Amino acid sequence: MRTALEHREPDRIPLDFGSTNVTGIHVSCVAALRRYYGLAPGPVKVHEPGQMLGWIEDDLRAAMGLDVTGVFPRKTKFGAPAVDWKEWNFRGLEVLVPGEFRTTTEPNGDILAYPQGDETAAPSGRMPVGSAFFDSIIRQPEIDPEIDEAKLDPADNLEEFGPLSEEDLDHIERSVRAAGASGYGVIASFGGTSFGDVGLVPAPALKNPKGIRDVAEWYISTRTRRGYIHQVFERQCEIAIANLERIHGRLQARAGDAVDCMYVCGTDFGTQTSAFCSVATFRELWFPYYKRVNGWVHANTAWKCFKHSCGSVERFLESFIEAGFDIVNPVQCSAAGMDPAGLKRKYGSRLVFWGGGVDTQKTLPFGTPREVREEVLRRCEIFAPGGGFVFNSIHNLQAGTPVENIVAMLDAVHEFNGVSHA
Amino acid sequence: MPDLEKLKQALIEGDWKAAAAATQAALADGVAPLTIVTGHLVPAMDEVGRLFECEEYFVPEMLLSARAMKASMDILRPLLAETGVEPIGRVVIGTVKGDLHDIGKNLVAAMLEGGGFEVIDLGADVAPELFIEAAATRNANLVALSALLTVTMPSMKTTIDAFLAAGLREKVKIMVGGAPVTQQYADSIGADGYSDSAGSAVALARKLVAA
Repeated sequence: MRTALEHREPDRIPLDFGSTNVTGIHVSCVAALRRYYGLAPGPVKVHEPGQMLGWIEDDLRAAMGLDVTGVFPRKTKFGAPAVDWKEWNFRGLEVLVPGEFRTTTEPNGDILAYPQGDETAAPSGRMPVGSAFFDSIIRQPEIDPEIDEAKLDPADNLEEFGPLSEEDLDHIERSVRAAGASGYGVIASFGGTSFGDVGLVPAPALKNPKGIRDVAEWYISTRTRRGYIHQVFERQCEIAIANLERIHGRLQARAGDAVDCMYVCGTDFGTQTSAFCSVATFRELWFPYYKRVNGWVHANTAWKCFKHSCGSVERFLESFIEAGFDIVNPVQCSAAGMDPAGLKRKYGSRLVFWGGGVDTQKTLPFGTPREVREEVLRRCEIFAPGGGFVFNSIHNLQAGTPVENIVAMLDAVHEFNGVSHA
Repeated sequence: MPDLEKLKQALIEGDWKAAAAATQAALADGVAPLTIVTGHLVPAMDEVGRLFECEEYFVPEMLLSARAMKASMDILRPLLAETGVEPIGRVVIGTVKGDLHDIGKNLVAAMLEGGGFEVIDLGADVAPELFIEAAATRNANLVALSALLTVTMPSMKTTIDAFLAAGLREKVKIMVGGAPVTQQYADSIGADGYSDSAGSAVALARKLVAA
């Protein structure tokens, strides 16, 4: 993986699944893969209960032929630490969830999740019948358009950002040590550096979130309350860099620095056909903070900086590079202007494409294994030359994806690599 | 009509307070509610859609214009109802069962209302029977289904099949949209139309109700 990140062609394309919350696999698919490969039965850990992502144990990682492992924050999306695993029946599938992850079921079958496992608080996640993961519940009454702007306090949108505790640092140290000992490439998600990610704006881990927590209102605020957003991002950036200094200090002192890349931010700038803002707005509102975080990382560590953004983002890639991002994900080739060959030709020597391996909106969930194989081989031919490619599907593998298609995808990568697996 | 020009400008600029004030002022000047809608509100929202299509506007600007349009329509809607004027179409819209994503659907709903349609917005996570009930009781001629997830796209087919089973399929045109949805998928589930953006959804809706 390190060779690929340095834009040199490795002996084979490195393969990632499960190392971050945007390159993962739905728990139902992880269970299906374990059955397919004949691995030890038993409930799979849901390490990210929002998207219901399943943990890839070492035996499955080996069976799938993966090359990357991840370091995750101590607490999961709804605020429950990833410890004290307990069994939970997820619509007929026995899984493991963090001990403090608590849910109730509505009369209509919808499942509600609670912040920090506190059932006396208002629920912060809902999984409707027919869905397979939780969406954040907006716990903010519709903002009165007459809102007194003077009463808005940026501190209210910063409650979830603060100095890491010693417990957090201990967790990171342990996780990095274990990841380093595994021999795999390591990507670390320390948290705190996603600026205005609408997946996190509703603050699903907080019991009583204040500030601007409605997603539509947040989008509107990027247009109408830029001063407020700048104040939030400025302070968040200061907190994040102070935390990174402590993390890096701790790792150097005690754990060795096994981290290869850092997941910086998952804010989406692209839609299927367009963008969420202009390049000019991106450069005014986000660019300065990304540049500072990435600048600190590059000045003080050897970590590569990883940026996730769904959708049509070609227009932003020059700015991503200038802001210090080394890696982009998920490389949504199905979105407008995201032709894989064009992206590779224009940016391939400067950006690592971590994703783009197969379409998860059409081919993987609804195609045949043969169609999956053909698409994967085509993408490998485009992205592999000269390195700068880590194979991953375009975003997480969703519930309902046929296991034979997932296996066809993995087999095609191994076929391209000339390696026999499982 | 300076106030009506102001109304158009307020909608394009997404200024809800100015939109409400200009609407009130136009009514006070004796302009008929329908004239305000067809002569000013619809062209303004068409312009907003055009700005979105040519990427001068993005989601935040669309949300602001939708809010301004709503402020104007909140004043006009009861007056239009009193006059008994028929809208160019009645559309029942919602995000399908299992899917809670509604920003895209809300934008389409706003653009349709701004385009002269009567919009019955059922929200998100809407069961097929609720679409059917609303379409039947409100005498809708158009149903618009949204989905953001591959997991919930099949609910679009379930909903269309439910209209068939209820014997109401011929009474409504059904249009679909959402990030993973394609024309090919729309054709495969028997939808009458597909649109890939809020702006083009209005043109599609006009075409479907005129057919």
